[in-house]
Amino acid sequence: MNAAVRPPVPGSLSQAAFEQRLRDAVMDAAPLLNARLLPISVRSAALNRALAAGLPQIRDDLWRYADLKFLGSAPWAPSPVAQDAARWQDAARALLPPREPDFERLVFVNGRHAADLSDPLPAFDAQVGPLVPERTRHERFGWLNDAFATDLVRLAVTESRRIEIVFVATPVEAPQAIHPRLELSVLPGAALTLLERHVGNAGENSLINAATQLHVGAGARCQHLREQSLALDAQFLDTLQVALDADAEYGLTLLQLGARSLRSSQRLSLYGARASAQIHGAAVAQGARTLDHSLLVDHVAAGTRSTQVLRCIARDRSRIAWRSRVEVAANAANAVSEQSLKGLLGGSGAEVDLRPQLEIHTDQVRASHGATTGALDENMRFYLLSRGLDLETARSLLEWSFLEDAVSRIGDTSLRRLAERRLVATLGSNVASEALQ
Amino acid sequence: MNPSLLSIRNLHARVGDREVLRGIELDVPVGEVHAIMGPNGSGKSSLSNVLGGKPGYEVTAGTVTYRGRDLLAMAPEERAREGLFLGFQYPVEIPGVNNTYLLRAALNAARRHRGQPEVDAYDFLELVRARAQLMKLDESFLSRGVNEGFSGGEKKRNEILQMLVLEPVLAVLDETDSGLDIDALKVVADGINRQRSPERALVLVTHYQRLLDHVAPDRVHVLAGGRIVKSAGPELARELEQRGYDWLLEEAA
Repeated sequence: MNAAVRPPVPGSLSQAAFEQRLRDAVMDAAPLLNARLLPISVRSAALNRALAAGLPQIRDDLWRYADLKFLGSAPWAPSPVAQDAARWQDAARALLPPREPDFERLVFVNGRHAADLSDPLPAFDAQVGPLVPERTRHERFGWLNDAFATDLVRLAVTESRRIEIVFVATPVEAPQAIHPRLELSVLPGAALTLLERHVGNAGENSLINAATQLHVGAGARCQHLREQSLALDAQFLDTLQVALDADAEYGLTLLQLGARSLRSSQRLSLYGARASAQIHGAAVAQGARTLDHSLLVDHVAAGTRSTQVLRCIARDRSRIAWRSRVEVAANAANAVSEQSLKGLLGGSGAEVDLRPQLEIHTDQVRASHGATTGALDENMRFYLLSRGLDLETARSLLEWSFLEDAVSRIGDTSLRRLAERRLVATLGSNVASEALQ
Repeated sequence: MNPSLLSIRNLHARVGDREVLRGIELDVPVGEVHAIMGPNGSGKSSLSNVLGGKPGYEVTAGTVTYRGRDLLAMAPEERAREGLFLGFQYPVEIPGVNNTYLLRAALNAARRHRGQPEVDAYDFLELVRARAQLMKLDESFLSRGVNEGFSGGEKKRNEILQMLVLEPVLAVLDETDSGLDIDALKVVADGINRQRSPERALVLVTHYQRLLDHVAPDRVHVLAGGRIVKSAGPELARELEQRGYDWLLEEAA
């Protein structure tokens, strides 16, 4: 779009060097990779696909806004756990967010299940087969999660459950890669309220490469809040893939609040007739951070419905990109798609790049999309100042007002309240919680 | 005559290249209600906005003294905390920010400025409920977003509610009567009359005389071409209603 477009990876990391680094990582990681969790054949096939895909290219529209410079020095192999386990847990305990009432909790520290910090529920159900979705170059770092994940959550939800899964990243001495992984199936008719949180203060010598796979069965419901509140110097790669069967209802709320460099690839596939997805996203960045998102919504079947409300605030010299592509297949008659993307600039060097895209292969479809980016409304600001509020409070309130759209329609009350609290806390202490409606 | 609360001398201001105020002279003594009338484009709203400190208005000459201080040197939020209230012609909607929260934050900002403790939450709620009742605003409005989805009349009543809670020393109400039906006009007028006191003053900026049937002004000023062209007692408002503004403009020219 302009001269500020940077190559995602510095020239110093060649494809050959990247390949070599991955092969070395496999040698280092081999003893840590549990074949019970994921068969070696799956891991090896995934690694080969990642090698074949290589690094994202500068001209690749899917990746052009990502800041992947850290890949030049990033490790891929997870750390050996044994000698550090106790220290990790102590560090993680201090980083855990307060408990949410009525949620069962599972905690993972640096990619490993921490039973002492978790409720006594199994993270892994041996009766449930692996959930490894088909990935494309859009989800290329998901392959590396397949290859290197050291632990995971694999559950099939049969009735109605509320589960919180916290992935904590703690600082380590030697460079490490953390591969948080979730595989969840919500079986037909069941209901899952899922709180997925990525927190912690692991910094520049850690690479976090998360992958979440969800399958929502026929007539099942899933409310999913994904909060990313990592340290402001964290490096986070993320892959989310969700498949919806007929009449499934899925609500996704993405809160992107931390990380210095984030790339999140999201794909929602509406395979079953009348499946519906409501996507809410809020991203806030300051300093020189880069948050890059690429969302694909596939309307495969008839009568499917998706709505998106995405709100981004970039301050200082930060940059937030959100590509949002909706594809409506020839068989997806009577599909409905709504996209609302808005960016707020809070600094002369800040940048928000919103790119709604729509590809339709059927005549019977109702689709709307809008994208706007601008600065805070001067009239609104003056109104608050004229009531005696200070500049900082006025700004925080108006930023909250801007983001509120993205969380006000979350159906689950406790998830909505949590999302509101997290956003308000991110915007600054001046916005008291009473400002919330 | 009481001492002036607000004293404006030779005030000139512009927006971009357009000169909107061309030498305003005005004194508003404490305890009085002054009406500023004038045709569209005469500078009425510009005067309100300059007094409130709205960005985009550049004062090119003149002085404004408020409670003995240079008003123009104060930031908008400081003016508010010093007891100046600007009632907006078009109150803005701020979804997601609770109406009561804004009121309390505004009141506490002024109290802190005066070295007073913050208002007790329960006392405050009682105060706001009582004032909302006066303005015939249902209690549900208090928990809604600021002006979010309010009708035009509800927004204006909400402005007066804010004024009644903040109890400003000087209220400048910019066309608060526009867009009100007769019932709402009475409610708004009642609210304005409540604000009258020997310690305070009000400036009512209005295009029509009808608000002045309910709120009797002490003085009426006619603004035209960015200047006050005539000042007189309340009878002037009735004369304007009968004869329009043209005769005055001709007289001034």
